[in-house]
Amino acid sequence: MKQKKLKSTISYVFKSKMLTLVMLLVVVVAVFTIISKGQFVDPKNLRNILQSITLVSLLTIGAGMLMIGGYVDLSLGGTGTMCGLIAAYALRAGAPWYLALIIGLVTGALAGTFNAVLINELKFQPFIATLSTASITQGLGYIVNNGQQIDIDNSVFNFIGTQRIADFVPYSIIISLVLLLIYGVMLKNTKFGRSMYLVGGNPQASLLSGLHPKRVSYILFINAGSLSALAGILLAARLKTANTTGIVNQQFSGMTAAVLGGISFGGGAGGMGGALIGILILNCFNNGMLIVRVTSYWQTVASGALLLIALAIDFLRVSRTKKAS
Amino acid sequence: MQLEFSGVSKAFPGVQALSDISFRAEGGRVLALLGENGAGKSTLLKIMSGDIRADEGSVTLDGQVQSFSSPNDAIKAGISVIYQERQLIPAMSVMENIFAGDLPRTAGVINRQKLKRDAQEVIDKFGLNISPSEPVGRLSVAYQQMVEIMKAYRRGSDVIAFDEPTASLAESEISILFKLIRELRAEGKVIIYVSHRMAEIFQITDDIVVLKDGRTVASFPTAETSEATLIKAMVGRDIGDTYAKLDRNTEYGDTLLEVQNLVTKKVKDVSFTLRRGEIIGFSGLVGAGRTEVVRAIFGADKILSGELILEGKPLKLKAPADAIAAGIALCPEDRKEQGLVLFRSIKENVSIPVLSRIRKLLFLDRKQEAALADNARSKYKISTPSTDKLVVELSGGNQQKVILGRWTSGKLDIKLLILDEPTKGIDVGTKAEIYQMVCDFAKQGIGVIFISSELTEVIGVSDTIYVMHEGKITGNVKRGEATEEGILALAMQS
Repeated sequence: MKQKKLKSTISYVFKSKMLTLVMLLVVVVAVFTIISKGQFVDPKNLRNILQSITLVSLLTIGAGMLMIGGYVDLSLGGTGTMCGLIAAYALRAGAPWYLALIIGLVTGALAGTFNAVLINELKFQPFIATLSTASITQGLGYIVNNGQQIDIDNSVFNFIGTQRIADFVPYSIIISLVLLLIYGVMLKNTKFGRSMYLVGGNPQASLLSGLHPKRVSYILFINAGSLSALAGILLAARLKTANTTGIVNQQFSGMTAAVLGGISFGGGAGGMGGALIGILILNCFNNGMLIVRVTSYWQTVASGALLLIALAIDFLRVSRTKKAS
Repeated sequence: MQLEFSGVSKAFPGVQALSDISFRAEGGRVLALLGENGAGKSTLLKIMSGDIRADEGSVTLDGQVQSFSSPNDAIKAGISVIYQERQLIPAMSVMENIFAGDLPRTAGVINRQKLKRDAQEVIDKFGLNISPSEPVGRLSVAYQQMVEIMKAYRRGSDVIAFDEPTASLAESEISILFKLIRELRAEGKVIIYVSHRMAEIFQITDDIVVLKDGRTVASFPTAETSEATLIKAMVGRDIGDTYAKLDRNTEYGDTLLEVQNLVTKKVKDVSFTLRRGEIIGFSGLVGAGRTEVVRAIFGADKILSGELILEGKPLKLKAPADAIAAGIALCPEDRKEQGLVLFRSIKENVSIPVLSRIRKLLFLDRKQEAALADNARSKYKISTPSTDKLVVELSGGNQQKVILGRWTSGKLDIKLLILDEPTKGIDVGTKAEIYQMVCDFAKQGIGVIFISSELTEVIGVSDTIYVMHEGKITGNVKRGEATEEGILALAMQS
């Protein structure tokens, strides 16, 4: 009897995505805590982890939602970086903080619209279309200020970018967590959230059942563009300067975290809860390697390996469901 | 030549797919494998083709025990299985596909002239009219299948198995297929033929093995059995004459839909009217434009000219959502590709068109959603322990019922129901259930458009049958006057 219960608990744990993920997170934290002799869970270090989560979360929401809807966007890094530069430029030109913010976000939305038009109207493959947009936005980012960085001297930007509650929790992370919560609730409980899963699962069947896959696609790309703009602007605010590298290197972290969190590239599966844990796993992992002094070259290699593991788990889970059918 | 199965068993988690299957297939004869969905036919084919391994028992070819660890082993041993999903490379030519994996080479370079000659030889052997350099993707489904048969023949396969080869062929194409099969039989090959269609079994096969629940329940020479005996063996009960037993609607209401001079990319000047409570059948060869007509009526294809009038009012459609709002529902031809979101639950598939009607403020009302799905489950007897089950795990018949349940949940006022090949790949028992459902819809005053490639079915179910050929309607016949030959003549315009 007891054994049977244990068995069913184990199979439940293995079947439940969330539990697998939480366990993976616990393992990552435990391993690094042990190796670093406790340095990993030092408050100072936890503060760093929190800080690093902010930007990745925004990119993860955008990229993750696209992936649920069956799309991919490789231009998020370029777009966000360009928007950070444009917002900084607007500030320097004398625009008030809210106007600079709006200009940056609208530019991000426009880049998203551009992608959606390429894909929906001109029928480009998402991969190709967004790869081109990535290059275009990155180029435009250089053009904004001739490839030079633009310093930001604005009290509101500085406050959001650098201040912390009780000198521990950065204000910017509140933005990320609130957004994660809103998007999570929306995905699971609203008609729009549901249509994303359905369109991602089968756009043809969704269309023939009365949904509007094209509309969903526009919204997803515009949403991802705007969120990456927000990420680019927040980074600039934190560094007190917008440069041309911006968030380019972080866009793949966004996708990696989404995949780690159980959002599969095939579309139609995953959610924001998993994504949050994916973000935590990724950032704890990256930070942990820093703490235990793995050289940065090997860190990059290890990040790739982590992504491979995530994909392998996803693949195993999917193939098991398929076999069961 | 002789292929023998003895004591073959195979279990999957939770299911004994095959138990103790034993029978013998002789060279120069066509053996039918008959059984309802889930009877174990596909599993048996997969064992033959080396996709999966049997747990117990053996497969012997000419007295030699075979053991395949991959499909390649089976091909090398001389066994080819031709599946419903074609395993060809669409962008490559006919000759490259026929000789795939074994292209003639001179000094390491492909000898295209020899390739063409050899391919032409095979094509001539079967008396087909296709060019060896034609890309396979441009051929019709029927000819693609011919290419696959030629590929199996070219490999020198001694055993060729067909899995539902006529599922997507029209009647005229079937006769070409049968000619090929007879050629192969004359050469002494062992031929295994899996199909649901009774008429074909009697036309083409010599022996019949009936599977039920993973066991061989009966086997006879085809000449010594009857359809009734076979059905009884397959389902374990007597079905009798399905169509005569249907409880039909006899009273039609006023005009529901008028289609006037409809033109789309693939439809040329189609006009017809449908009354409330009437069932209109559409027959024709695959690609005749039947699906395109209903896609236009459903707002899925662009209408170039012509008019749709529903209940006396002109109908303007930008997207299927508009058609649904006007009371039109479509069960599409390809359930898996166009009908269902396979990796979502039954519940979620049923509620798609009514999501905005089951909201509490901003949020979806899950209780209502569950109630809709439970309603569909009990109304159509969808066999599943829970409506949380993924649709992909259901059988074809149950999947079709989920789509029907989607349109008839009570939240939509459906006036026109379009069914495109609703019984494709569905077993005999469930087919009869679906026919009765169609009649029940008509009784409720719903106008039904019923597309089917199976002549007996379209004649047996519809009140009026429209026949299409190359995008045009070539004639219409009332049920009482319809014959298979008459419809075929209209469909082929010969």
